[in-house]
Amino acid sequence: MEKYIKDDSFLARWIAGELTPQELEKFKKSDDYPVLKKINDASQNLKAPTFNDQALLSKLKELNNSEQAKPKGKVVKLIPNWVYAAAAVVIAFGVFYTMTMKSHFQTGFSEQLAIVLPDNSSVKLNANSHLDYKTLGWKSNRALQLEGEAFFDVEKGKSFKVNTDSGMVEVLGTEFNVISRDSYFEVQCMEGKVRVTSSKIGDNVILLPGDAVRVVNNELEKWDFSLKESNWTLGESTFNNTPIEQVLYAIENQFNITLDKSNIDTNKRFTGAFTHRDLNLALKTVAVPMGLSYSVNKETGVILLNSNNNN
Amino acid sequence: MDDETKSVCEQINYEQLFNTHSKSLFNFVYYKCGDRQQAEDIVQDAFVRLWNNCSKVIFTKAKSYLYTIARNLFLNEVAHKKVVLQHQSVPFNDRTNESPEFLLEEKEFMVKLKKVIADLPEKQREVFLLSRIDKKKYSEISEITGISVKAVEKRMSLALITLREKLGNI
Repeated sequence: MEKYIKDDSFLARWIAGELTPQELEKFKKSDDYPVLKKINDASQNLKAPTFNDQALLSKLKELNNSEQAKPKGKVVKLIPNWVYAAAAVVIAFGVFYTMTMKSHFQTGFSEQLAIVLPDNSSVKLNANSHLDYKTLGWKSNRALQLEGEAFFDVEKGKSFKVNTDSGMVEVLGTEFNVISRDSYFEVQCMEGKVRVTSSKIGDNVILLPGDAVRVVNNELEKWDFSLKESNWTLGESTFNNTPIEQVLYAIENQFNITLDKSNIDTNKRFTGAFTHRDLNLALKTVAVPMGLSYSVNKETGVILLNSNNNN
Repeated sequence: MDDETKSVCEQINYEQLFNTHSKSLFNFVYYKCGDRQQAEDIVQDAFVRLWNNCSKVIFTKAKSYLYTIARNLFLNEVAHKKVVLQHQSVPFNDRTNESPEFLLEEKEFMVKLKKVIADLPEKQREVFLLSRIDKKKYSEISEITGISVKAVEKRMSLALITLREKLGNI
């Protein structure tokens, strides 16, 4: 077969009748022409098998109709609409909750609690005390609400405030102890600098390490102490010229007992310490130097204190 | 109604499409697979699909849609299957003034030709038969088979070359 015939489209053009007269003339003289002509003629006489289109059409109509008649399956949503509503409610709840989230800590009688705040500052909460703070935005607003007694070890950062009913303590340094009970307010500064503002007197004092201040009978008392850390965190409560009422109150909190103070002069001052481990020993260490005696009412469990002078 | 706005979903239009294209669609598939039953099934499937998707197919695009579906169905089902075409036997020469010897030769040639066509690669065969039996223009074949006119011409030429070589000289 000659090369020009094998060309990509030569034969195709021949079939389509698109050859030029010269090309056709040349092609007719080639050996291949008779065979190819015969193939072409013969193949045009071929017929495809009969195709019964009407039969197929009626079959199709039937099929298409049955397709339509077929009840379409009910479409069930994978996620029903109410789930979205429920999710929205849950998310809204969650956002609301985290926005206003408050951490609340509370200690019962004879219980102490160590708390680590979000900025790694630590708080030790003494017996029968409450502590509240907002978790969200803690870094920018370090403020706590305290009722009771707690020891603070504050990490560096923006101002750290402890709000109590009796006053506000603002940290200018790092470690301090706060006592705020009904009518009593006491702050001891162990490290750094603390500013104490009394809400009753409306005065403020800056405490340096070893300084302590208390508000008794609407008077601000300042004194020095020489402890590195508040002793109650080590199992002992220490007092320095403290009204005896506060000392007895501390015993009540520590040992979960009730003391009957009706027979004694609660304005006396006490200097010393009592242990948290032994009630008897604690009572003795407080009562004996103060010239008090005590007796236990076995029925009510109330410990009655008496002044020795009266006997 | 003009063709652009006709809906395939309407029974009349659908039937019109069927009447226009079913036969040639059938032939096309038949040239590919060489199995009448299979070709009929594929044509039927293609039209059922057209009906099910009637709202998505524009009337003027229905033809190429049908051929595309038929091609895909064919590929899914019968690709690689050995094909034996069985053409309807028709007397291709009804002249009687030929010698018996000549008639016999012609008959023999027909048998040979059919066999060689059946042995053609599917892509060449469909082009060749669409052109020779259905008398379709290359442009139409290109539309049906989804290839370019150039490619159609090339396959056509190749088919003829193959046939010529296999049949030898007469």
